[in-house]
Amino acid sequence: MTTDSGTLAPARAGIAWIGRARRRSILLAGSGLLALVAVLCVGVAMGSVAIAPLDTLAIVTHRLFGIDLGRTWPASADTIVWDLRVPRVLTSMVVGTALAVAGATFQGLLRNPLADPYVLGTASGAALGAAIAVLLPVRFVVLGFGLLQGLAFVGALASIYTVYRLSRIGGLSPLTSLLLTGYAVGSLLAAGLAMAMYLSGAALRQIFSYLLGGFDAASWPQLAGTLPLVGVGCVLILMRARSLNGLLLGEETAAHLGIDVGRERAILLALASLITAAAVAVSGLIGFVGLVVPHVVRLVVGPNARLVLPLSALGGAVLLAVADVIARSAGEIPVGIVTALIGAPFFIVLLRRSRTGYEL
Amino acid sequence: MFRSPRSSRSASPTRRTASLALALLFIVAACTSGGTAILSPAPATTAASAIPSTASTATSTPTPAPSFPATLTDDEGTAVTIAAEPHIIVSLAPATTETLFALGVGDRIKGKAQDVFLYPPQAGDVPDVATYDSVDVEKIVALAPDVVFAGGNFLTPPDAIAKLRSLGLTVVVLYAPSVDAVYRDIELTGQIAGRSTQAGAMVDRMRSEFETVRAAVAGLPVPRVFYELDATGAIYGPADKSFLAEMIKLAGGTPITTGSANKYDISVERLIQQDPEVILMADAPFGVTAEQVAARPGWNVMTAVRTGQIRSIDDQTVTRPGPRLYLGLALLARTIHPEASIPSAAPIPAVPDRQ
Repeated sequence: MTTDSGTLAPARAGIAWIGRARRRSILLAGSGLLALVAVLCVGVAMGSVAIAPLDTLAIVTHRLFGIDLGRTWPASADTIVWDLRVPRVLTSMVVGTALAVAGATFQGLLRNPLADPYVLGTASGAALGAAIAVLLPVRFVVLGFGLLQGLAFVGALASIYTVYRLSRIGGLSPLTSLLLTGYAVGSLLAAGLAMAMYLSGAALRQIFSYLLGGFDAASWPQLAGTLPLVGVGCVLILMRARSLNGLLLGEETAAHLGIDVGRERAILLALASLITAAAVAVSGLIGFVGLVVPHVVRLVVGPNARLVLPLSALGGAVLLAVADVIARSAGEIPVGIVTALIGAPFFIVLLRRSRTGYEL
Repeated sequence: MFRSPRSSRSASPTRRTASLALALLFIVAACTSGGTAILSPAPATTAASAIPSTASTATSTPTPAPSFPATLTDDEGTAVTIAAEPHIIVSLAPATTETLFALGVGDRIKGKAQDVFLYPPQAGDVPDVATYDSVDVEKIVALAPDVVFAGGNFLTPPDAIAKLRSLGLTVVVLYAPSVDAVYRDIELTGQIAGRSTQAGAMVDRMRSEFETVRAAVAGLPVPRVFYELDATGAIYGPADKSFLAEMIKLAGGTPITTGSANKYDISVERLIQQDPEVILMADAPFGVTAEQVAARPGWNVMTAVRTGQIRSIDDQTVTRPGPRLYLGLALLARTIHPEASIPSAAPIPAVPDRQ
């Protein structure tokens, strides 16, 4: 902190930091967009079946714009590129966006650097819902969504609602109460999940693959169902970036800034949970993205939610899409393993290099 | 048992549970549990194309033209229409791969599920399009198969089955929780592959071999048999009314089961109380020995341990619901009753492809 040399020096340093943050955020956004386009191209061009890049290009332009590039390809190539690869890459991006934005929101909301989209029991709720769906002898698919996606979505939202309601009873401060209630309810649901898995017999494999997460089942209808929820949720959260910034300063300060703390917290909690539920319903439980992407962004551009939220959205999309491409090329290993394998070392390097004091 | 390359990475309760459950996964995956499948009758398979009364003419006269298109019901109750005799087949269940090879249409299989216990050896030439837990949908689509055979009861992930169907592929799901269901699946496979006659003959042969074993063990003492699938952590054996329990009964033993229809783990207490007279080690290929079994705490009171009736068994032929099942039964009977003479059956020769 300041020791001598007048009072202007820290202020100047602060202004310089804000200027740097702006330049850095533009740089980050630009490289993020480039990476997004690159991974989209790689993800669509690459797969377990080799399809000539020109054929892939022709298929996509034919499907998108109806332009015929004068090439012919087998019908199976069309299905592979357009019905398997394109929706899969896009779904991984949408889910990555949802998890990163939800993570940034929860971290700010709970003022806890360890918060992630699953911190309040969402993951256990979704997993229990999915496990129950697997055990029920009912199979139906409506618009690409089966019972599993439906119950995972409902389970995630029901668990967060329970946590929120329970946390309002009792005399603890709201944040502590939320975190602890979330942990307690999450543990209870995890016990239910363990029981369901114990009783599941041969269905265990399916529950297990849900717990590891992945994009095997991605399809256009699923994307069409998920994208609006995630898109609208992220935009609404972004519109509340000011509240999130205020809440970061502490409840009292936020209240002095004219923020209705209780209401804003409830709304942000609901929105972040909604996009988390939409994401885990289609992808299963993918860890790490929601925890680390917001931190990486903050390390680069500082804690301003107006920058952190959109850049996290971009970063989450890139990271998860890249991770899924790697997971696919490594023979369909679970994507959550890849996100941690490439994300954790990167994160550690960033932490060691960062010279700015880092506070949430 | 098999070790998975996966490991859980986070310490959250969910993940920990998941990794604990991994061990269970392989056990259960290796078994066929009873009870959950919808056993729809497969009416068309036996009636029209059953073995002609003059069975000896089978080789000299051409096979009656199989009727296509055919609409049939698979083991999950899904109605499937086979438009014409399939020439490109994908088989995601090892037992079905064996059946197709035994029916002489193995060369039409263009993709199969990875199989540690590959049989027949020619199946090794067929490229893998699925592993034990994931299906490479892209590769299957690229093959443009006329029909895909999948395993029921979660052998093939249900997501993958739904995905393949949503892409317009014809998928037949087969699952045999009993010996009769194995016969029916072989006939169904034969009907779909245009080899009804051969499938009927194969089933007749299997039935008569089963009858031979039954006759050989009739009148012999019926020991209580514990079929040990794994005991590295918990102890795993056959569930009640499972396929494995039925096989042990047919081989002249009383199966010691877990006391549950869909759980495969059994407590030592229950095992001691049931007191096996014979212990069969299906986990012998993984390094388990009779000495290790006898040295386990508490096991020394069991009759099988005291009398030294602990034997290893080749699990694959016993548990794989395919055309070699009668060999598995004979093996099981010989291992339970080493003193008895069980006639050894010759393998079913593959039907030469007609061309």
